[in-house]
Amino acid sequence: MRRLARPAGVIGATLTLALICVGLLAPFLAPTDPRAIDGPSLSPPTATHPMGTDALGRDVLSGVIYGARTSLITVSGVGLLVFLIGITVGIVSGYRGGWLDDVLMRGTEALQVLPRFFLALVVVAYFGPGTDRLVIVLGLTSWPLLARVIRSQTLSLRRRDFIEAARTQGASDYRIVVHELWPNLLPTVFTLMGLLTAQVLLIEASLGFLGLSDPDAVSLGYLASEGQRFLRVAWWLAAFPGLAILVAVLGLNLLADSVGDATLRA
Amino acid sequence: MSWGYLLRRLAQLVPTSALILLVGFALIHLAPGDPVLALAGEHGDAEYYAFMRAKFGLDQPLHEQLFTFVANLAHGDLGTSYVQGRPASQIILERLPATLLLTATALTIASILGLGFGIFTATRRRAWQDTTATTVLLATYAAPVFLIGQALILLFALGAGWFPVQGMTSAVTPSNGFSHAVDVAHHLVLPALVLAAPEVAVIGRLTRVGLLQELGSDHVRTARAKGSPPPMVVGKHALRGAVMPVVTVIGNRVAHLASGAVVVEVVFGWPGMGRLLVDALRDQDSPIILGIFLLVSLTVMTANLITDLIYVWLDPRVLFS
Amino acid sequence: MLRRGSALVVSAVLLVSCSTTEGTPEPAADSPVRGGTLVAAITADPGQLNPAITTSGDVHTASELMYNGLVSLTPDREPVGELAESWDVEDNGALYRFHLREGVTWHDGEPFTSADVKFSFEKVLLKYHSRTAASVGQALESISTPDERTVEFRFKEPYAPFPLQLDVTEAPIIPEHIYAGTDPLENPANLEPVGTGPFAFESYKPGAEIRLVRNPDYFIDGQPLLDEVVLRVIPDAESQVIALEAGEVDWLFGVPGADLARLEEDGGFEFLRTTVNPGGSNCIMTVSFNLEKPVFQDVRTRRAVATAIDSQQFVDRVLFGQGKVAEAPISSGIDFAHADDLPDMPTYDKQTAEDLLDEAGWIRQGDGTRVAQGVQGIPDGTPLSFGFTLFTSFDAYGDLFKAQLADVGIDVELDPQEPDIFAETVFVDRDFDSNIISYCNGADPEIGVKRMYVSSTIGPVPFSNAAAYSNPSVDSLFDQARTTVDPGERGEVYRQIQEILVEDLPYFWVVETEATRVYSSRCGGFSQAGHFAEAAYCRQ
Repeated sequence: MRRLARPAGVIGATLTLALICVGLLAPFLAPTDPRAIDGPSLSPPTATHPMGTDALGRDVLSGVIYGARTSLITVSGVGLLVFLIGITVGIVSGYRGGWLDDVLMRGTEALQVLPRFFLALVVVAYFGPGTDRLVIVLGLTSWPLLARVIRSQTLSLRRRDFIEAARTQGASDYRIVVHELWPNLLPTVFTLMGLLTAQVLLIEASLGFLGLSDPDAVSLGYLASEGQRFLRVAWWLAAFPGLAILVAVLGLNLLADSVGDATLRA
Repeated sequence: MSWGYLLRRLAQLVPTSALILLVGFALIHLAPGDPVLALAGEHGDAEYYAFMRAKFGLDQPLHEQLFTFVANLAHGDLGTSYVQGRPASQIILERLPATLLLTATALTIASILGLGFGIFTATRRRAWQDTTATTVLLATYAAPVFLIGQALILLFALGAGWFPVQGMTSAVTPSNGFSHAVDVAHHLVLPALVLAAPEVAVIGRLTRVGLLQELGSDHVRTARAKGSPPPMVVGKHALRGAVMPVVTVIGNRVAHLASGAVVVEVVFGWPGMGRLLVDALRDQDSPIILGIFLLVSLTVMTANLITDLIYVWLDPRVLFS
Repeated sequence: MLRRGSALVVSAVLLVSCSTTEGTPEPAADSPVRGGTLVAAITADPGQLNPAITTSGDVHTASELMYNGLVSLTPDREPVGELAESWDVEDNGALYRFHLREGVTWHDGEPFTSADVKFSFEKVLLKYHSRTAASVGQALESISTPDERTVEFRFKEPYAPFPLQLDVTEAPIIPEHIYAGTDPLENPANLEPVGTGPFAFESYKPGAEIRLVRNPDYFIDGQPLLDEVVLRVIPDAESQVIALEAGEVDWLFGVPGADLARLEEDGGFEFLRTTVNPGGSNCIMTVSFNLEKPVFQDVRTRRAVATAIDSQQFVDRVLFGQGKVAEAPISSGIDFAHADDLPDMPTYDKQTAEDLLDEAGWIRQGDGTRVAQGVQGIPDGTPLSFGFTLFTSFDAYGDLFKAQLADVGIDVELDPQEPDIFAETVFVDRDFDSNIISYCNGADPEIGVKRMYVSSTIGPVPFSNAAAYSNPSVDSLFDQARTTVDPGERGEVYRQIQEILVEDLPYFWVVETEATRVYSSRCGGFSQAGHFAEAAYCRQ
């Protein structure tokens, strides 16, 4: 972990950790129920409402805290699906090659050409907004990029001297993948995962902007897009949730980046 | 490059296309909702519904609708839009140029800036420039597109008055020829920048990671040890390897740009395909939805093919796998 | 017998334009000028420009300036002649004879005749215009054209609301010589319309703009004043406001409530309040209780929900003043039928709501929620919780509804859906507990009120009787109202209906909504809807 001790890495780790903590502890941290009518309409930030209130008189700070929780759930769900499928397909395809590579890559390609944001739009527009649907659609369709990049790196690495060397020394496939290949793939994996999870947050926000987010699950994206409607009269409505998204995405990326760098130097 | 490889890749497109077609059709036709209800608005009656359903063939069993759709597709006919009463292909093609102009401009901007940022940050690793540049880049990537868009509109269009707020052309002075091109370019600046912003980050960061890997690899170390000047090392050896992930990303971002353009087109009132899609989704105008779906998928497929061909060209070892 | 001239239209149009700027308005803007261009913002691309084949608000907003109806409606929703100069009503309201205006020509120079009217109704409106097809189509027996200037509509029985269903929104007249023998949905003229309206088509760039030019031969002398009207498609409401402020557009059909106050303060703009929207007029946001669900069997529970709703808060925090608390089942915009003094109409009273819920057998628990204890059809211990289905765009209503009911111990689950899916869930599948719908009453209760309450409209027709309310005396009172021609007598029948409704509470009527048109101070002379720019002018 010493390798993380660069400013960017520390900042990234701190922000990510903060996001996780806020998400997990939301019920204890939030001053009120994020849906309760708790004050005047569109009050600017005050001592009682540090981030102001929205049009209905709900506390924005509580919304942001609970929004972090919702967004954390969405991001974790999608991230997990993408990680598991993407890594498996990428490595198997690149390392094994042959017909298996062909089959997997055709499948990946078919999925990859399904435009993801578009699919999410269609699913949400037809089946109604909901976190579960969003996680499934995005999780099942976001992994091809990771899989393809992993595959292409595996392909290149496979022919490199150190892998050939390991192979001639009689190392098993499993050993080669885990000990020789995997460490070399890590930077790319972390960078892509950082970007992907961040994208999920942003897709959530864009769906909200197009009027397709779930009002029953207050997410950061929903709050930011709601706030956009009041941009000229109540800046705090869009600013704080927007800032929260920015901080979360930034944290995830900086962390991913520095892990990538650290592994490079190993 | 062997022609056999190219032919094999082209042949592979057939089952992929079939799968895409099927997924799109199934998703739209099995979903709840009824386009005829959307057409009727508030006051339809049973007679009206039956009449409209028959008119658009929606009263047929699903497999026959699929058969008709595929048969028509073979003639380049996507069906008739429920709302506009015109061929869906014609409607989509009308809106395509605006989206192409927007996305192509954004992709060009993003590629140039992205590669530049990637090289800049990779060669200044651990330096404060790297951290600063990375953070700035990430910030543009991390903010929701519609907020960046609105902020730019407020700052540079309403505030400074440098750019128009909405649309692709001016309303009051219709222009022709050269002045028309200038007018469109003037309208294009803000939306293209907003659409390009996150792509700059993606391309920049992957260039950086790829470059760092290559700079640390044996053959680059050898080149350095042999005393090649640093710019030569970056340019000649490292960039070639680093371009691989970048090419993958650019190929992949075509899909992202096309669908990402949806939000930008709404924010800036840009008359492209993305907004057509939003309208069609609202009206459940499935010939248009399916048409755009197929078009975007086909574009991504082509982009992927080109990506793969560039792979082979850059690193012929791939071919022997 | 009824005879009215057309001069009324002009004066009425000029009267509605009300200025909210304080003190003396700029003298320049008050005197109409000729020439110039008006740029108006519209929210969505219409796709095609034939208003006769659709009820889509987007198409109507974009195309009505190019067409005419037989009549037009004044701001008070009174019919006055447009393509018809006058009309006679015979057989106690079962026969309408219209005398058409002389010398009207289509934009391509062809003369307008009674054949166009007959064709428009028989071949197009009664088939494709769902609202007119469902109402007029059901009651109409035949249309005849004794001569080129006369057209007669014969109904199966007296049909009082007919004149209100003949404006350019409900029954635009399209040219027979262009549409005859073609499929009206696919006629190329849908993209290059030929009408009789104050403006003629110039160009249409899909997704971008529609350009209209002055019709020099328009049948109202001296109108229109503008040379050109450009309708710009700007989908995002906030962007529309910014475009107005930047001077890129001159006219908005609506403005978000929160921005309205700011624009009023900033100055430079004029405002026109109206209850007419592209989707319909005199709209009431209405909560429907699904009477097929056990939870809403007991009227005390329905009344408890109704009294737990603080309607004023909806006016203040959702509408930002663009509307008012609904005081009766029928809109205040339908003056003769609106009964605003009904003692049983629920008003916000938290204590009453709590008491009613207790009485109905929903008992408060320690944690504030309520569970059933002896409620008929519901097992004891079931928590008081129900779904609330709504358009995704109505999410603010849902949020506030949920919060207000939580206050009396009712748990509400929001179920937002896109409009057409909503239509299927609610009216076809009937898979919902409660919902909120913007029921537009229209100009006459026969158009937009009756469909909510009569038992014959329970079933798969969207935006009809969502509650599945069935009361034989209400059914027969509506029958009586339709064939009663005297407005005073009709009003009395509607009053009786509303007395029953506020007692039974199949619905709760929350707020009457209105929109505010905003336009640049350099322009003026607008009317609310339809031909909004017929008499408008803009100083350059």
